[in-house]
Amino acid sequence: MRDLWARIRRRFGRDVLATTAVVVIALYILAGLLALAGVLAPGYSQQIGEAYAPPSAAHPLGLDVLGRSVWERVVQGSRVALIVGFFSTVIAIPLGTVLGLVAGYFRGWMDAFVVWLYSTLDAVPTILLLLALALVLPTGKGLATVCIALGVTSWVSTCRFVRGEVIRQKELDYVRAARSVGATDSRILFVHLLPNVLHLVLVQASLVFVYSIKSEVILSYLGVGVQNFPSWGVMIDDARLELVGRGVWWQFAAATAALFVLVLAFNLFNDALKDALDPKEG
Amino acid sequence: MTKPVWGALFRPLWLGILSMGILGSCTPDWGRGEPGSVYRGALIANLKTFDPAQASDSYSNQSQFQVYEALYEYKYLARPYEIQPCLAAALPEVSADGRVYIIRVRTDIEFQDDPAFPGGKGRRINAHDFVYSIKRLVDVRTQTYGWWIFDGKVAGLNDFRAASEKLPPLPDSVHPALYDREVAGLRALDDSTLRIELTRPYPYFKYILAMPYAAFVAHEVVDHYGPEFLNHPVGTGPYVLKEWRRGLRLTFERNPKYRHGFYPSEGTAEDSANGLLADSGKALPFIDRAELYIYNETQPMWLNFLRGNLDRSSIPKDNYSQAVDPERGLRGEIAEKGVTLTRMWQLDLIYMCFNMIDPVLGKHKKLRQAMSLAYDVETVLDRFYNGRGIRAQSFIPPEISGFDSSFRSPYGTYDVERARRLLAEAGFPGGKGLPAFSYLTIASTEMRQRGEHFAQNMAAIGVKVNVESCTWPEYLERMQNRKFQIVGASWMADYPDPENFMQLLYGPNKPPGENNASYQNDAYDRLFEKASVLSDGPERFALIERMKAIAAEDAPWIFVVHRQAAVLSYKRLGNLKSHAVAESPIKYYKIVGTRK
Repeated sequence: MRDLWARIRRRFGRDVLATTAVVVIALYILAGLLALAGVLAPGYSQQIGEAYAPPSAAHPLGLDVLGRSVWERVVQGSRVALIVGFFSTVIAIPLGTVLGLVAGYFRGWMDAFVVWLYSTLDAVPTILLLLALALVLPTGKGLATVCIALGVTSWVSTCRFVRGEVIRQKELDYVRAARSVGATDSRILFVHLLPNVLHLVLVQASLVFVYSIKSEVILSYLGVGVQNFPSWGVMIDDARLELVGRGVWWQFAAATAALFVLVLAFNLFNDALKDALDPKEG
Repeated sequence: MTKPVWGALFRPLWLGILSMGILGSCTPDWGRGEPGSVYRGALIANLKTFDPAQASDSYSNQSQFQVYEALYEYKYLARPYEIQPCLAAALPEVSADGRVYIIRVRTDIEFQDDPAFPGGKGRRINAHDFVYSIKRLVDVRTQTYGWWIFDGKVAGLNDFRAASEKLPPLPDSVHPALYDREVAGLRALDDSTLRIELTRPYPYFKYILAMPYAAFVAHEVVDHYGPEFLNHPVGTGPYVLKEWRRGLRLTFERNPKYRHGFYPSEGTAEDSANGLLADSGKALPFIDRAELYIYNETQPMWLNFLRGNLDRSSIPKDNYSQAVDPERGLRGEIAEKGVTLTRMWQLDLIYMCFNMIDPVLGKHKKLRQAMSLAYDVETVLDRFYNGRGIRAQSFIPPEISGFDSSFRSPYGTYDVERARRLLAEAGFPGGKGLPAFSYLTIASTEMRQRGEHFAQNMAAIGVKVNVESCTWPEYLERMQNRKFQIVGASWMADYPDPENFMQLLYGPNKPPGENNASYQNDAYDRLFEKASVLSDGPERFALIERMKAIAAEDAPWIFVVHRQAAVLSYKRLGNLKSHAVAESPIKYYKIVGTRK
C-alpha cells in the first residue's frame, strides 16, 4: 500500500501536466467547499443587475435572464458537480468492487448471477436508464436522486475489471498460501485480494467521478436532474435559447468552459494515475 | 474470389444508402408536394389523440378542426366572435324561457369514406349521430376531459352518465343498450331535427355546440376501431388525415366529399381593405394538402420558418427582438423575406394557482395577498412575453364581455413593502414560521425560468419557494388529484363568453373539474349561478363585477397576464386572419405565391 502511494507521488512529481491537473481539481474542490460553506457565491439566486448584462468589471461573467451573476452560478455549479461526483463514486465503487470480488472469487452461481446482472444493466442505454431511475426513485427529483441513479448504474465496469483480476490472482501463490494456513474466505477477499486490485479500483473511481459529473450535466439539461439549484446542465439549457435568439454567449461559454476544464483535468489525472499504477511501468 | 471483394466494396455504399433512407424518413421532407397547394404549419407539442372526447388542449383542437365538425362553427372574419351553422341548417330556435333548443341538422352531408362503413363509403349524417356523439362523450368510460361543458346543463344527461358507471369497461361493451335509452333533454325527433332541453337557460350554450367536444362521430367508426379510434379520425370536415407520424408530422389531404363550406362574404371595412373578401362565396378549402410539423422546441420551428419551410409561425421569446423592432414593427430583414406580422388578443389568462386545501396556503388569505403583491408581473411581461400582453387584474381577458380595463385588484400591483406588512399581519413576519412551498411547473426551459423568477420574488419577502418541474402528463395528473401547493397555469377561452372563465372558481367545479384551486366561496357560487344564466347586459355585468371583487380579495390565484399573440406568416399565405377561438382554420387559407 505504501509502495502504491510512493509510486503515485513519484509519477506526479515528474509530470507537470498531471500536477497542473491536480491543482485545477483542487481549486474546483476548494471552490465547491467554500460555496457549500456559504463563503463563496452566496447570492447566486439574487438579482444583482439588468437581465442579460454582458461581462464587465462588476460582473466578470455577465448576468443571466433573471439578472443573476453567472460567475456565482458557475461556482455553485462546481459544488453540484463535485457532490454528484463524490456520492455517485461512493455508491458505485464499493458496489462494483464487492460484487467483482465475490463473483471472481466464488465463481459458480454467484458469478453467473453477477454477470447476468451487469450484462442486463449494461444492455439498457445509459441515458434512458438514468432518466427512468430519476423519474421513479422515491427520493423525488433532485440532487439525491441523481447521485443514487448514477451510483447504481455506474458500477458495471469496476465490477468487470475487479472480477477479471480476482479470477487471475486467486490462483497465485500468495492466495494459496493464505488458504493453506486456514485464512477464511472473507479474510482472503478483503485482506489479501482487495489490496492487490486496489490500483484498478482507484483508476475506476476517478473515471466514475468524471462520468458522473458529465451525466449530471446531461440529466439537468434534460430537466430531470438537479432542481432549484444552479447546475452547469441547467445553465447550458438556459443558454441554448438565448444564444441563438439574443446572442447571449456568456452563460453558455462559462458553464461549458467550467465543465470542459474540470473534465480535462480529470482525464489528465486519470492518465497519470493509470501510468503510475501500471505494474509494467517502472 | 471476386464476389466477396465486390461485396466488401459495395457494402459501405449500401449501408450509406440505407442510412440515408432511415435518416430521410426521420426528417421533414420539405421537397414533397406541389408548391402552391400545400400549407405547412407547426404544432409546439406532441399530439395525443384524435378522439374529440379528449380534445382538451389547443394543439388537439387545431388538428381536429381539420377533420371533425360540429353543429356550429365560428365565423371566420366576424369580431366579436360569432357562430354560424356548420352541420346544422340554421341557428337554433330557442324557446322563450331559453331552455329548449330546436336544431335542424343538415342531412346532405356525408362522412368521409372509410373501411368502417359498409362498402367503405361514408354515409350521410343525421341528428342521431349528434345524440350518439354526446352520449359517448358523457359516458364515464370514455374518460373525457369535456364532461364539464354538459355537467348539470342538459335534462337527464347526468342520470345517463351515472348509469354508464355501471357498464362493463370499454371495449367489451362498445355500443351498449344504454345508448338506446332516451335522455329527456337530448333527443333526435327525426333524422333532421334535434331537441335539446336545458335544466336552466344557459345563453352561452350555443358556443358549446361549436366546441370540438361536440363534434359528430359515427358509431360505426367507434365500433370498428374500438381502442384504436383515437388514431382514426373520420369526420365531415374539409380534410382527411392522410398520415400521422408520431412526434414528427401530421398530413391532411382535401376531403373529396366536403362540399358545404364557402368563404364568408361578410367582413369589416378593414377586412375588405386587406383583401380578405376577395374570395367571398367560393367553395372551400383552397389548399389541397396541409402539413403540420411537430416541434417540442421552438428553435427548430423558428429556423425552419426563417428558411421558408413553414408558412406561419409564432415568435419564440428569445427571437422576438430578432423579428420585431422597439416600435413593435417588423424588422427590415424579416420583412424583406415577404413576412407579415399580425397581432391578436389570445382570450386567455395566465395565473398562479394556490391549492386552497393546503393547510397553510388555504387558511391564510393575507399570505396569498402578500404573495400576489410581491410578484413582479411587469418583469414577467417584459422577460417572458416581450411586452406582448397586459397584467391581468381579474379572470376575464380583453375582448370577452365583462372585461373592464379600469378594474384594479387591490393586490394586482407590485408592492413589496405592502406585501411584507401583510405577511406580518398573517403571522409570518419576514416569512418566519412558513414552510418552503413547492411551485409546480412543466419541465421546459421557459417554464422553469418563470418558476425561478417567482421564487426570486417570493424570497424578497422571506417566502421560500422551490420550483418543481414535471412532465405534461404528470402535471395534469397532479392538478386533477390536487397534489400541488402552487402551480403555474393558463386558460384559453373555449368559447367567447365570460362564463368560461368564471366557472374556473366555481365551487362545484373542484378537481377533477376545472377549479384547480379547489376554491369555495358560497357568495361567489351564488353570483355565478345567477350570472351564468343571464345574457350579456347591465345586470349580468354587475354580478360579474362583484365576482371579480370577491376573487381579488380572496386571492385563490395570482392574476398574471392576458397575452397578445404575434404571429408571422409569409405573404404567399393568403386569406389569413388570426382567430383566437378556432385556431388554424386552414380551410380558409390559400397559397398565392410560390415557396422559395
